[in-house]
Amino acid sequence: MRATIVCIKKEMTEQVRSGRLVILGMVFVLFGIMNPAVAKLTPWLLTAMADTMAETGMTVTVSDPTALDSWAQFYKNIPMALIVFVLVEGAIFTREYTSGTMILSLTKGLKRYKVVVSKALILILLWTACFILCFGITYAYNEYYWDNSVAGSLAFSAFCWWLFGIFVIGLLVLFSAVLRSGMAVLGACGAVVFAMSLANMAKKITEVLPIYLTEGQALICGRVEKGSFTAAIAISIAISFICMAAAVLVFNRKQL
Amino acid sequence: MILHIDGLYKSFGDKEVLKGLCMDVPEKSVFGFIGKNGAGKTTTMKTVLGLIRPDKGEIRVNGEKVTYGNTATNRYIGYLPDVPEFYPFMTAREYLTFCGEVTGMEKKAMESRTDELLELVGLKDEKHRIKGFSRGMKQRLGIAQALFGRPKLLICDEPTSALDPVGRREVLDILSAVREQTTVVFSTHILSDVEKICTDVAFIENGVISISGKLSDIKKRYRNDKYILETETPEGICAVLKAFPSAKESGGNMLTFSEKDESVKEIMLFLVENDISIVKLEKAEPTLETLFLEVTGK
Ligand SMILES: Nc1ncnc2c1ncn2[C@@H]1O[C@H](COP(=O)(O)OP(=O)(O)O)[C@@H](O)[C@H]1O
Ligand SMILES: [Mg+2]
Repeated sequence: MRATIVCIKKEMTEQVRSGRLVILGMVFVLFGIMNPAVAKLTPWLLTAMADTMAETGMTVTVSDPTALDSWAQFYKNIPMALIVFVLVEGAIFTREYTSGTMILSLTKGLKRYKVVVSKALILILLWTACFILCFGITYAYNEYYWDNSVAGSLAFSAFCWWLFGIFVIGLLVLFSAVLRSGMAVLGACGAVVFAMSLANMAKKITEVLPIYLTEGQALICGRVEKGSFTAAIAISIAISFICMAAAVLVFNRKQL
Repeated sequence: MILHIDGLYKSFGDKEVLKGLCMDVPEKSVFGFIGKNGAGKTTTMKTVLGLIRPDKGEIRVNGEKVTYGNTATNRYIGYLPDVPEFYPFMTAREYLTFCGEVTGMEKKAMESRTDELLELVGLKDEKHRIKGFSRGMKQRLGIAQALFGRPKLLICDEPTSALDPVGRREVLDILSAVREQTTVVFSTHILSDVEKICTDVAFIENGVISISGKLSDIKKRYRNDKYILETETPEGICAVLKAFPSAKESGGNMLTFSEKDESVKEIMLFLVENDISIVKLEKAEPTLETLFLEVTGK
């Protein structure tokens, strides 16, 4: 237990001193501010353009923005934020393979599963903090300018998206245990998500795929029911656990 | 025996690196593990640490069997890899503290051990992060981290190879200073390093150990009756070679001969009679170099 805590502490120090924490913080804060800002500015831009449009014979009707527009931006932008997160943290294991820093800790009798656990935990912690930061900022602005109550199931939709992030982290950890290079890990994670979005087009399996969790926009508009997420949530949690467990088993036998 | 290796085999693809390697390292020795580049030194050491799965063979550390992956025997071992890399964002002190914490050492003991080791390797006043360390500094920090848990066996992979003479001297001094506390195994292809500090040696050649034992015994065993003769001119060497065909030319107006084949007196007489002026005629001390060449048959 103590060794795990030491490892988590070390990972945190690395996040801080390597500047990764700052990058992630800035990106997620930026996205958090951008969502309401874009929602607020779009009508204004359209009005500004309306005059020139009118000259060419087009009429633009501008409706007042609501919190829903801002949340629409949130669900449009959060995938980008997750991609940035994966790009910044994708080499958390492989960096230590190529440099050989991990060998030294392991040959001191550090149990291998503790390395996996500490890195997985730090990823989950970072993702959770970043997600809450981004969500919180958007929420606060929305509350200030408009009214968040127009968005239905807001907390639930956010939870689903957060869980999708955890699922991706599960993939990241598993592929990091299996593969050696950071690029390969990123590629593998991307391939799985891409394959899911392709499969997503086949309507029948849609609701069981983890990628269904990213339908937050449909949820807050009331286009889909909360209940339809049960399968995707259960499956995502299960897959995340399986990925982490498999990562431990694979990593125990990995040649470093 | 602190380390016992029996019939170790390992291939990478169809390249056989170890072909039944057997080696015994006695306790409290400074053990030189000698071989050319690519001979399989790193492979052997990593197998001892459970980092490489052998195809066949058994390794025991302090009597306990080594298993691949999480091996409990690593608690007896301190390891310095050939190119040690540490977390660049830490300072030397922070890194050693991390090592202590990982091994579950008590805080008090850890701090005093950290101080002691930083002193030993001369990094006590180094406040910079490891990012800016030189090869030699990393190598010394590497020894400190390997020694941290007071291992019974210290394994160093080519600790001196990439260093300049000063750095090499420092590392050798540290290694011979710790021999009271632990058994040291280090691999190298630099024979003079071995001669300076080793008590025992093993030569790895073609995937097996070709000679091993106490350095003094080996030197005695191979203590040859070899002489070296150097003349002033190449003609002198030619003349001697012609008269004493068993002598071997060794380049640069020099030849070597063995007392078994030729009497030294006769050669001296020949030199005088033929008025060959010489630079030197001396008995050759067996160096590891000559042993090594003899072993590898070159
Ligand atoms: N992971 C590996 N895959 C393939 N070949 C390897 C691997 N590791 C080592 N080798 C080969 O095994 C031989 C021995 O390597 P090594 O043990 O590093 O030698 P040394 O440390 O004595 O210089 C070399 O020819 C090297 O190319
Ligand atoms: Mg080597």
